[in-house]
Amino acid sequence: MKKLVSAPALFIGAGAFLIVGLMLGFWWAPVDSSSMGFSQKIFYYHAPIAETSLVAFGVAFVAAIMYLRTQDLRWDRLGYVSIRLGLLFAILVMITGMIWGKASWGTWWAWEPRLTTFLLVCFLYAAYWVLRSVVDEEQRRATYAAVFAIIAFIDVPITWFATRLMPEGLHPAVITSGGTGMESSMFASFMISMVGMTLLLAALIRRDLQIETLKDQVTDLKTSLGG
Amino acid sequence: MSGWAQFKAIVRKDLIRELRTRDMLVSMILFVLLAMVIFHWAFTVKGQTDLTYFTGGMLWVTFIFAMLLGLNRSFAQEKDEHCLDGLLLCPVDRVTIFLAKTVGNLVFLLIIQAVAVPVFALFFIERSLIGDLPPFLVVLLLADIGICSLGTLLATISMNTRSRDLLLPILFLPLIVPLLVAATSATTLVFADGAGFGTVASRILFILGFDAVFLVAAWGTYDFAIGE
Repeated sequence: MKKLVSAPALFIGAGAFLIVGLMLGFWWAPVDSSSMGFSQKIFYYHAPIAETSLVAFGVAFVAAIMYLRTQDLRWDRLGYVSIRLGLLFAILVMITGMIWGKASWGTWWAWEPRLTTFLLVCFLYAAYWVLRSVVDEEQRRATYAAVFAIIAFIDVPITWFATRLMPEGLHPAVITSGGTGMESSMFASFMISMVGMTLLLAALIRRDLQIETLKDQVTDLKTSLGG
Repeated sequence: MSGWAQFKAIVRKDLIRELRTRDMLVSMILFVLLAMVIFHWAFTVKGQTDLTYFTGGMLWVTFIFAMLLGLNRSFAQEKDEHCLDGLLLCPVDRVTIFLAKTVGNLVFLLIIQAVAVPVFALFFIERSLIGDLPPFLVVLLLADIGICSLGTLLATISMNTRSRDLLLPILFLPLIVPLLVAATSATTLVFADGAGFGTVASRILFILGFDAVFLVAAWGTYDFAIGE
């Protein structure tokens, strides 16, 4: 596969966007006028991570379908690293969400739709890991993991809808069908952070793929040497 | 042999095998009844015995765990006695196997519920439930279809792994939470507030959507899950 952008360039691009996004968020965008006040600034970090984690799971979903169609283990590897990173991002969403919750609602944990959805997403994709660890044969492991990745990704929006069946939540609905509910400076800072976080995900996926490929090559070499 | 005949043969085989030994059904019914007794003691705080608002939760948590027991047991037998190997050697479409297994599990779950729901009403609900039965039965049947279709797919995967019965709840529970939320809240609304079809319609539609999505997803992926 021809490499369009080198790995260091992706990391540098991600870093630049993230730093600029956060700086704009802190110094250019105004302090939120609602009760959240300064604590709203974590939004420029928290929301992009949340969306990026869903992007990572989406990549794993596509990779799972492609694996089942082609039985090519490279797709399995892509799905595996995407879910590993998506889970890491989802855990960060939980941590930053709890910090924000403590600052603005006065509680570390609230059973509100989005936070609850991410908690369940963490459980779902942790189960994916457990599943991978209990199947020894490579092809079978990849197949089961792909089936579960498809089902899990379908379950994410359904879980979100289900949490809406619970009593009203505390979470601010920032982007709704009626608009973003943000000032333009806030929205621009958010979008820059969002691009930065997505680039970071792309860079990490690429680096992890290289590591996994190298690991497989080492295993093959060991096997060929009778190790 | 047509697909329909194959489907009927597999369902019949599963039912006859279970009705001969009754191992699984007896264990599941005992489990459900014991869980109710335990719930009574667990939730009765400071002599307050009105558990009306816990009814939906108690009922569905019990059914989900009973189903986990049943799924593990039914697929362990299939695997250990090489029934599934025999089935896979027959010229049967994998989707037919999936549908037959799902219906077999659904029948077992319904048998358990036919025993458990009247006992549950006797233990926990003080008023007559006759008028509330239609919306509850619709929720029950639709939620059961979701539980059994997803459960059958995941049990097929987990039986081929090293951890088997340990893995199934870890895979199944986070996926079934949306259905559990909808079924629990609908059941509590019906039992506690006497809600009719109009009040629980959104939940029924949600469960229907869940069933449709996961039946299609399981249908599409079962071929891979069951293997060669």
